[in-house]
Amino acid sequence: MTEIRFAILDEDAKKEIRRALLKAVSLPGYIVPFASREMPVARGWGTGGMQITLSIIVEEDVLKVIDQGCDGSVNAVNIRDFIVAATGVETSAHTDEASLIQTRHRIPERPLTEEQILVFQVPYPEVLTTVEPDTGRQKQIHAHREYSRLWVLLYEDTAQFGESRISNRYPVEVNGHFVMDPSPIPRYDIPRLDNNPALLLFGAGREKRIYAIPPYTRVKPLVFEDRPFLVESFPGQCCERCGANNVFLDEVHGEDGVHYFCSDTDYCDNHQKRTDHAA
Amino acid sequence: MLLDIHSLSKIYGQSCGHCLDETGERQGRSICPQCGSVVAVNRACLQIEGDEILGIVGESGSGKSTLLQLLYRDVEASSGEVFFHVIKDKKNRPVNILDLDMLQTARMRNEMMSMIYQNPRLGLNYLFSAGGNIAEKIIGAGEHRFEKIRNRVHHFVDKIELPGTRVDDYPDTFSGGQQQRIQIAKALSSSPNLLLLDEPTTGLDVSVQARILDLIKSLQKEMGFAMIVVSHDLGVIRHLTDITVVMRHGSIVEYGLTDQILEDPQHGYTQLLVSSIL
Repeated sequence: MTEIRFAILDEDAKKEIRRALLKAVSLPGYIVPFASREMPVARGWGTGGMQITLSIIVEEDVLKVIDQGCDGSVNAVNIRDFIVAATGVETSAHTDEASLIQTRHRIPERPLTEEQILVFQVPYPEVLTTVEPDTGRQKQIHAHREYSRLWVLLYEDTAQFGESRISNRYPVEVNGHFVMDPSPIPRYDIPRLDNNPALLLFGAGREKRIYAIPPYTRVKPLVFEDRPFLVESFPGQCCERCGANNVFLDEVHGEDGVHYFCSDTDYCDNHQKRTDHAA
Repeated sequence: MLLDIHSLSKIYGQSCGHCLDETGERQGRSICPQCGSVVAVNRACLQIEGDEILGIVGESGSGKSTLLQLLYRDVEASSGEVFFHVIKDKKNRPVNILDLDMLQTARMRNEMMSMIYQNPRLGLNYLFSAGGNIAEKIIGAGEHRFEKIRNRVHHFVDKIELPGTRVDDYPDTFSGGQQQRIQIAKALSSSPNLLLLDEPTTGLDVSVQARILDLIKSLQKEMGFAMIVVSHDLGVIRHLTDITVVMRHGSIVEYGLTDQILEDPQHGYTQLLVSSIL
């Protein structure tokens, strides 16, 4: 008895997670509790995303795992190796080849398709925690869309600093109802949640919560009507490796100054190949 | 007419069914002798016009504050009806506000009715700045344009004579009287039709009391909302109100023009109350 069960989780656990996913997809942005099984890694290290991935993965899937846009970072490699060991699926670093992508805090630069599922790892699923610690009242606020306290935070930042100080986890309104935490993706990725053709699933293992944005759903950031929503911009900068200048860049501080590189390594590789071809 | 209260009651405890008859002014008690329930408000009936200022006086435990809390729906009523004539159903008939759901109640509180508590800690959110507190009510009333919100916040900060430079400071950094004024600004920022005040100046020193009362009075003249003021301080009642009701053991025992009640009290308890002013 040495063989590992396909995708580690027992069938009841998978069923329970899939049921939570169905509910989450039916109520875009609504936070659904789930049991969150023990995983072979500690909670808080992507167990929510892993459980979603493991409960929906099939043998035909091609898996891609990224951490801050990078396929090669330690966490991404370990999670990918683990899922492959438990399922034997194909993997790819290429966004266009993958059918199932597990991500930590980025959306791949290359536009996703209807055939793809993007699974987010979420540390803090409840957007209201900062303004209302009581979980019972949080539910009532969501039910009645009484989000004025989130707006007050936005008001205070705008009054004092000219715009919101939130750099990641920017609150978004989904399908005109629930306001949700989009996981710590940068602001740059927020407009890319809107009307996305892919199914977007969010899993918080430590907090035992699942939520979802179905394909082609309206997603808009909480922003005053007379103020624009600003995203990160890198004026005059481009990736030192591939030369791309219309993507989200990582800022690397070295002894010889600041360097900029693509955050999405797959995009960087492709772009470099294309420019090499052209040259 | 703005507010029409019919036979409003609040019983704390398992009522035996006779509580309302066994308590009240005539019985001289508010605890039901049969079941021990406390009748905080006993079949109160009141009517208020659109720009009237009504005072409620009475000893502690007479049900004054509970009556306000029932109107603001901080506390669920046991029985009775309250018609608030700015809230109407589809057939344009006034709705019993005791039947409103949570969302409708929130709307009522954000747009039509405000409460000022004795303790500013109950009315203000200390995690938000003074301006944020005032903005919360404006946002709650549906305004999502920053410039409009900011202008309105500054308008009310001016009104309560707070320096405009302190608008983004937190309530903790203000004095007690200033905190109370911020609470007033918050309550009025959504232009309510009815303002409820629960001992608004108790606990403040006399000079601050006078300024806050003057502020409330001038804002009322300017904006033209109705008020219900609960106080055990007859000076506050005399200064602010047109009409006064006297409560004892949960019942309303006397009702009339404020001058009349203070100069010529009819009910024995009111006579005692008026004669015991220091």
